[in-house]
Amino acid sequence: MEILSVQNLSKLYPKFDLKDVSFSLEQGFIMGFIGSNGAGKTTTLKSMLGMVHKDGGTVSMLGMDFDQHELEIKQHLGFMFGGVDYYAKTKIRSITEVVRRFYREWDDSIYQKYMKRFALDESKRPSELSSGMRIKYSLVLALSHRAKLLLLDEPTSGLDPVARDNLLELFQEFIEDGERSILFSTHITSDLEKCADYITYIENGRIIESRTKDDLLQAYRLVKGTSEQLAPVQARLIANKTHAYGFSGLIKTTDLESADHLEIEAPTLEDIMIYYAKKEGLNE
Amino acid sequence: MNNLLNKELRLVIHPLYYLTALFGALILIPNWVYFVALMYVLFIAFPNIFMNAKAQNDTGFSVLMPVRKRDVVKARVMSMSILEILQVLVAALFVAIGVSINPKGNFLIDANLAFLGCALVMYGLFNLFFFPMFYKTGHKVGLPLLVSLSITFVFSSIIEVLVVMVPAVAKVLDGNTPSAMISQIPVLAAGTALFVGLTWLAYHLAAKNFEKIDL
Repeated sequence: MEILSVQNLSKLYPKFDLKDVSFSLEQGFIMGFIGSNGAGKTTTLKSMLGMVHKDGGTVSMLGMDFDQHELEIKQHLGFMFGGVDYYAKTKIRSITEVVRRFYREWDDSIYQKYMKRFALDESKRPSELSSGMRIKYSLVLALSHRAKLLLLDEPTSGLDPVARDNLLELFQEFIEDGERSILFSTHITSDLEKCADYITYIENGRIIESRTKDDLLQAYRLVKGTSEQLAPVQARLIANKTHAYGFSGLIKTTDLESADHLEIEAPTLEDIMIYYAKKEGLNE
Repeated sequence: MNNLLNKELRLVIHPLYYLTALFGALILIPNWVYFVALMYVLFIAFPNIFMNAKAQNDTGFSVLMPVRKRDVVKARVMSMSILEILQVLVAALFVAIGVSINPKGNFLIDANLAFLGCALVMYGLFNLFFFPMFYKTGHKVGLPLLVSLSITFVFSSIIEVLVVMVPAVAKVLDGNTPSAMISQIPVLAAGTALFVGLTWLAYHLAAKNFEKIDL
């Protein structure tokens, strides 16, 4: 079943547009939402949740239309935008006391389990926590009410490599039962290579790709060649970089021709992002 | 809704601000502008609570909860109205004491039931201007406060001037004898109804403005 579906979401700002953003996510999978800074990741997530007033499009979650069933959907949703950046001088215990009342399915045993796992102390105040710890507390709040869908904005940035790895393991555990899903935005593409099933890539307010990670990686190739070899392929390249010995560029696998005699490599997500960002830059 | 109200009372409104209601004791001053006694809640509690909520990123927190944006507005309008109502109730207590201390009354409007009714209208007008203006941004407090406080000054001044200059108005609003008080009950009732109506309207306009902004 589709747990999340976004259709033609748009938001117009004077200097930036989110245009026709569409993607969907099935139950039991993790989708990584990537894009460079300012590409529209947070705006998309906030528009989906009604925090930013969208100008068009429909969003459905858990099989329900978001606008019509906002409260019901939010009961089963966990979302976070960065770490805890509110009530800096209030004890975590008091904040939790307020939050738990909002959720019908709040489970104190889950809450205690994650607090222990993340070594969070309830008697501390957010101002006393490191930025990584604040993100962890924010995650604990998002996880403690048996959410079916997690929407997380940059959950891994600011965490050390060990904590990031733990978190990715936790994500895998979360979706294990095949009923729950996670959409998380990040610009740390190595996180996605470890755990994402699907990738949605946004650049300049437009969705460039939304498909399985393996399909996405198969669909592109990194090519290298000499300066003389550049001219015949340049039109087919998404973007390229030239250097003293020649060039390197990104190309759609379907656009490759054996007559090109280029050095071909499999790209990483980062390569795809870098070349697409370069292409967007050229178009400006 | 109750959960958001619980949040307001536990995280947003510091218990100290309930004490501003004690400024109602200023009603015991003989010959004074009694409306001012009821303005301290607007002078002290409103700016401080809203600026504190802004510093604590209360809006950022509230919209993470499973609520609608308009519920966030409703909870704040309700919690601030509770402070206003508390102020009127405490003032009523001091009106009762004032009648026995200053039986001769006041050169401006007396501290009586009609005065409390007018004070409720004053709060209603304050709410009508303050909340919709504030929720156009959800964070700027200065201009909304300036405008809504000006409105309360103008309204209270008009009432005071009418009580002094127009005998027909004085007959309805002034006087602190038991019989005068009884005849003022409809004024208090009308004031209460207006307070509720204006505050309800303030909430709807404010919620509409808040829905439009991007957080």
